[in-house]
Amino acid sequence: MAASGVTLTPARKRLRRREHGLAYLLLIPSLVIFGVFVFWPLVHNVYLGFFRNPPFPGLPSKYVGFDQYRDVLTSQTFVDSVKTTFLFAILTVPVGIALGLGLAILAHQKLRGIGVYRTFFSSTVATSVAVAAVIFGTLMNPQVGLLPWLGLTTNPAILQNPDWALIAVAVVTVWQTLGLTFILMAAGLQGVPDELFEAARVDGAGAWSRFWHVTLPMMSPTIFFAVVIGTIFALQSFGQIDILTQGGPLKKTNVLTYYIYDTLQRQSDPGKAAVLAVALFFFTLILALAQIRLLERRVSYER
Amino acid sequence: MSVDARALHRRKVWRNVGRYTLLTVLAVIVLFPIYITIVNSLLPARDIFQQPPKFFPTDPQFGSYREAWNAGHMGNYLKNSIIVTVIITTGQVVTAILAGYAFAILEFPFKRLLFVVFLATLMVPFEVTIVTNVSTISNLGWYDTYAGLAVPFLATGFGAFLMRQAFLTLPRELRDAAALDGYGHWRFLWRVAVPLARPAVAALSVFAFLAAWNQYLWPLLITKDDRLRTVQIGLKQLQSVSIDQVNVTFAGAIIAVIPLVILLLFFQKHLVRGLTAGAVKG
Amino acid sequence: MRSWKRWASSGIAMVVLTSALVAVTAAPDAGAANSTTCPLNALKKASKPVEITMWHWMTRANETALQKLTDAFNSSQSDVKVKLVNQIDWEATLAKYKAGLATGDLPDVVQLQETDQQQAIDTQTLLPASTCAKADHYSFADFVPRVISYYTVQGTQYGMPFNTSGPVLYYNKKAFTAAGLDPNAPPTTLDALRAAAEKLKANGVSAPLGLKVDPIFFEHWTAMANNLFANNGNGRKSRATKTVFDTPNSRQIFSWQAGMVKDGLATTNPDLGGNIYDDLLGIRSGSHAMAIDTSAAFSTIKSILGAGNDPNIELGVAPMPAPGAKAAKGGVFVQGGALFMVNKSKPEKQAAAWQYLKFLDQPANVVAWAIGSGYMPIRQSSANSAAMKDYWAQNPGSKVAYDQLLNGPTNIATSGSVIGDNKGVRDAVRDAENSMFLEGKDPKAAVKAASQNATTAIDDYNSRIGG
Repeated sequence: MAASGVTLTPARKRLRRREHGLAYLLLIPSLVIFGVFVFWPLVHNVYLGFFRNPPFPGLPSKYVGFDQYRDVLTSQTFVDSVKTTFLFAILTVPVGIALGLGLAILAHQKLRGIGVYRTFFSSTVATSVAVAAVIFGTLMNPQVGLLPWLGLTTNPAILQNPDWALIAVAVVTVWQTLGLTFILMAAGLQGVPDELFEAARVDGAGAWSRFWHVTLPMMSPTIFFAVVIGTIFALQSFGQIDILTQGGPLKKTNVLTYYIYDTLQRQSDPGKAAVLAVALFFFTLILALAQIRLLERRVSYER
Repeated sequence: MSVDARALHRRKVWRNVGRYTLLTVLAVIVLFPIYITIVNSLLPARDIFQQPPKFFPTDPQFGSYREAWNAGHMGNYLKNSIIVTVIITTGQVVTAILAGYAFAILEFPFKRLLFVVFLATLMVPFEVTIVTNVSTISNLGWYDTYAGLAVPFLATGFGAFLMRQAFLTLPRELRDAAALDGYGHWRFLWRVAVPLARPAVAALSVFAFLAAWNQYLWPLLITKDDRLRTVQIGLKQLQSVSIDQVNVTFAGAIIAVIPLVILLLFFQKHLVRGLTAGAVKG
Repeated sequence: MRSWKRWASSGIAMVVLTSALVAVTAAPDAGAANSTTCPLNALKKASKPVEITMWHWMTRANETALQKLTDAFNSSQSDVKVKLVNQIDWEATLAKYKAGLATGDLPDVVQLQETDQQQAIDTQTLLPASTCAKADHYSFADFVPRVISYYTVQGTQYGMPFNTSGPVLYYNKKAFTAAGLDPNAPPTTLDALRAAAEKLKANGVSAPLGLKVDPIFFEHWTAMANNLFANNGNGRKSRATKTVFDTPNSRQIFSWQAGMVKDGLATTNPDLGGNIYDDLLGIRSGSHAMAIDTSAAFSTIKSILGAGNDPNIELGVAPMPAPGAKAAKGGVFVQGGALFMVNKSKPEKQAAAWQYLKFLDQPANVVAWAIGSGYMPIRQSSANSAAMKDYWAQNPGSKVAYDQLLNGPTNIATSGSVIGDNKGVRDAVRDAENSMFLEGKDPKAAVKAASQNATTAIDDYNSRIGG
């Protein structure tokens, strides 16, 4: 709009300033919400970590500087929680994307009634984390669940089994997000022109080769998007842990978000929870930036 | 048909049978949990999770739905979820339209910086904000109110991004023609830009609705009792109270699913379009 | 370009300053303390009706019974009107109460889990029941002694007893008969329980005992052995500073539990979350023949068993088995909760609350509550009333928990411990027990770990309280 070389008459200047004013006016509602509920808490959270709090409000908080940061971030529970969080992300994101992509490819075939299958595969988008957790929690119950009938009994029961609990929660998560992942992958797949597939087939490329050399590269922006967003959401998983395992057994499903909630609500320790939240923020940020840096290179945006 | 053509045809038929079989098996696996939930919600209490399990309700009992709705308070939870979700969705769509327009159409200092600020909000995990937000909301007197449940979420960085993308596709000539007709920005925004960007608005609405409907941690922290509980935490409540009545818990789960099913039946297309915009454009 | 930086930095400075101010001004109510007088007369001068709220966590049948009593109170007089608010579970109630200390959103009466009483006392917001009782010449002599002794800390009784329960052994009489055991002579000691379990297993029951990993059982067994759980008189003479249960007795109890699970005589289930009644569900499915659980779950287990429709199950209820091979020297303490008056309310509301609590604990109402809820009658005259005796004659299982409370001495050990961070102590015990069951940790090491981690939790709490 301000092309170089155009002189600004007073009228134009006024117009420009009015436009600036309008722009800020349009942004203010969002910025106020962000300021009060996103950025201020982020800053304040760092500050909260400097205080050791009483078990309930009414008694004074004690300023301890970086001691609380040091104590919490070097504790074994914290280190284990970080490991669990990353393990959970690894268990859910690649599997979820692979399954979503696989189903999308299968549902991309030109068969009669394929739309029905597409609806079936996207159905889990109507479930929420709480619904999925309640359903699977009951299905996996050792007394009233379905697992004994399927022959999948473990001792102890799967959600109380330190070796299997995290995997069980991951399965629930993958199932619940499958619908959304499927829709995303299917949408991305629709953006791939059919001529490319045809050309490959004519060139004699087999199904696997077509996948590797046509589908995957053309889908790379979509997959990249799914990986980044999927990881952010995996790191923020909470509801299913709260319903299924409450961080147990033996803290084997104590992902960072649940650890923060447990510290805040059940141990009434906002100072410690603040430290953990700051750690979560940094992990999310670093992971997202790392993914963008490492993976974007391999994304081919050419059309 | 020649012999070759017939053989080819037969192979094709078998391949299709194989394809349909695979698709059906996968669909059954994906749908099975929801199916078994519906079945068990209709079984009389003594039949639930018998070994071997019953896969079809021969004597459907709809009483569990009534029980979940009334004694289990699911009706109340549903009402609360709908109210809060509609408020949040409306708020997010409006603020996103305003911000997206500013970023797409207007020029102003710090535009790029402010856009980064908007996107940065996506990186801040919710848990970092909960402690402070709970006290902010309490200080505003909004603890255990619809305002407290909705206000922190009335703006969205993703929404602004989506609307900016949509508005960027508006041809310059349209803007210029409108300016000549005496249309100020405000009128242009609501009379021209938004109607043209209707697919993006629809997609954003669906997204916002889904995200708000799914909220779990915030309603857990900011509601005091059953009056304002939303469907997600209400369902958890129902499960703990009805531990010996699995059919009621499952009825509650189905009740929680139905509104989304209705929403998606009507808006699935828009969801796809919205996701495409985000994914393909990077 | 630089001006915005200046603007931003002064903004940040303002923010830091404000939050510092907020932190300082959020300092405590310097005069906050639990009441030493009861504003009995405030009710007379106030405009009626005085409305009060009570937060509770009773659900289903219990909620119905409580509502019925409350409605009766409201309609029997016009001075006080009580509104009930259901918080659904006791953890949420305490969390909301603590949140209310900051927001000012507090009820006039709050029902709290028995183990939360030290924390409640530490909030310095209570009007003790004994304070009002003294002012009103109200006597607790008719109450079951152990109920009163539980809620008495350093000479003051803070809570008004209400929903009291105890640990019991649920078992399947038909399974006993099938295994050649006397269905009317359930095991009275842990050793006898193990012997019974072995016979049941030989007869085809896959895991005879459903062992819930509930730390309270360990506390009960400690009390039954007449041992203290924490120092300073179980926290009743003065604030507890450490646990004292790292003893041979405790190791025996832990070993017994570990042995039952390892030898396939028991399977465990958590005491939190969606699986807390798996032990009772196991009796229905036949995988268990016995389960230890709270007497308050009696109605739950009846509903799980489908009101006696299954030909293979006949429910029996027995007292908590004593630790070891011999009968208990001590006894179990009370579980459940009590009602606490909040002194942050206006005086007339506090007086009104006292009237309400007196009503709930009237002998006839105690009977109605016991029959409607499955909690036990907390007054001896109620227990001896015709209505109660009738009910018990028809439901002998629900008498067990009450009789148990009259067994053995009422002393500091059998009154149970009073610890501020009860949750932290229970977490330590639970984790130690789970490490035995899930990781095969040695029982002696597990007891030591539990004791040390519990003491650390107590230390942590005490330091956070003491500033």
